[in-house]
Amino acid sequence: MYSPRDIIEVIAGNVRKTRSPFAIPRSMVNTWWKKETLRSEGDALLFTGLMYQFIPYIEKSTSYLEKYEDTKLASLVRFAKYQPKRLSGIGLALMTPGEKKKQANEILRNIAKVLTRSDVDFYYKPKLDFYSGILLYDLGDQESFVEHAKFVSGKLKRAGVKKIITVDPHTTYALKVLYPKYTGESFEVKAYFELVNFSSSNGGGQVTLHDPCFYGRYLELSDAPRRALEKLGVKCVEVRNSGTFTNCCGGPAESISPSLSKEVMERRVEELRTTGAPIVAMCPICLGNLRKSGAEVEDLSAVIARCA
Amino acid sequence: MTLVHPEFAEELDRFGVDTALECFNCGTCAAICPLIYEHFPRKMVRYIQLGARDQILEHPEELWRCLHCGLCTQTCPREANPGEVILGLKRFVVDHWRRN
Ligand code: SF4
Ligand code: SF4
Repeated sequence: MYSPRDIIEVIAGNVRKTRSPFAIPRSMVNTWWKKETLRSEGDALLFTGLMYQFIPYIEKSTSYLEKYEDTKLASLVRFAKYQPKRLSGIGLALMTPGEKKKQANEILRNIAKVLTRSDVDFYYKPKLDFYSGILLYDLGDQESFVEHAKFVSGKLKRAGVKKIITVDPHTTYALKVLYPKYTGESFEVKAYFELVNFSSSNGGGQVTLHDPCFYGRYLELSDAPRRALEKLGVKCVEVRNSGTFTNCCGGPAESISPSLSKEVMERRVEELRTTGAPIVAMCPICLGNLRKSGAEVEDLSAVIARCA
Repeated sequence: MTLVHPEFAEELDRFGVDTALECFNCGTCAAICPLIYEHFPRKMVRYIQLGARDQILEHPEELWRCLHCGLCTQTCPREANPGEVILGLKRFVVDHWRRN
């Protein structure tokens, strides 16, 4: 187990200085939109919160953390602030494989495709797409979270943003529930799959959904992806622990204790595998963590986009 | 000797913890929590009730094993919000670290 104090100080320091938990410049992380023709004005702002873009970097940095957990080198995390090569910063960016970055970008392109197919009046502005700060909230660094959240909500408010479309459960929870509570700014927030409104006969087949804790419990949104898939003719085969009683993928513990994270993940994958249907996730943290088991896990956006 | 701080529950108010006293120690949260060891999170809620502030500060790392998955909060029969209590304790500990 790593010292939470060290991890918190590294992440809080990075967010304070660069507005990113890994201190990688936004221009390097957020490139998915470059080959797309997206409008820069419209009714609702597509806000990725950069979480999908972070997956490859999280995987790379936790692969180091995994290696050194409970060894003498674990204490070096404290010095990551001064020696950022492996845990954050440009060094980490350069060590992260390009193939993984492409996969993450593909997910966001699929989401844009699904929204377009659903005739949603949306726009995208990379300058307004920020990390929500949710990790600071989860780690209990309330002061740093509120400071960052006020910065982000202020930018959105000044840009006249009223409606927001999100792509992952953590950012959705931050914007929908935490921002009004802690920054005083409210937006009309919807997860992208709530807006899917087309039917298709290209679908078919079966999937088993892994509900993330935030969509399943905190936001009670589990019905929405199921409704979307039903319209596409995709059948959902349920496991016992789903919806409001879903089980965690273990991901949230990965920076503090990779071994605990793995143990929780293995138990969950075992349950998901019992249906025999392909596993589908809808959160970047779940996706990355469940895939560590070696199981084939697809993102919900890919399943919907295939029918678009 | 361990000191008991009867005002601990009140002190936690400003970290968003105001439901710990609702808990009647049934253990449902510990039974459902994916961290299958040592009565987590019930034990922590009990510490608050007992004013065992020092016990929490002695081994604060344990709190960060919590995944904030919300299963305990979902199933608690007393609406004691154990998951949110753990998050509030993390805030209390971070604040304590920063001050010292
Ligand atoms: S489930 Fe609720 S009442 Fe029961 S021990 Fe846990 S916190 Fe207390
Ligand atoms: S929120 Fe934390 S304490 Fe509650 S069940 Fe999940 S991991 Fe356990």
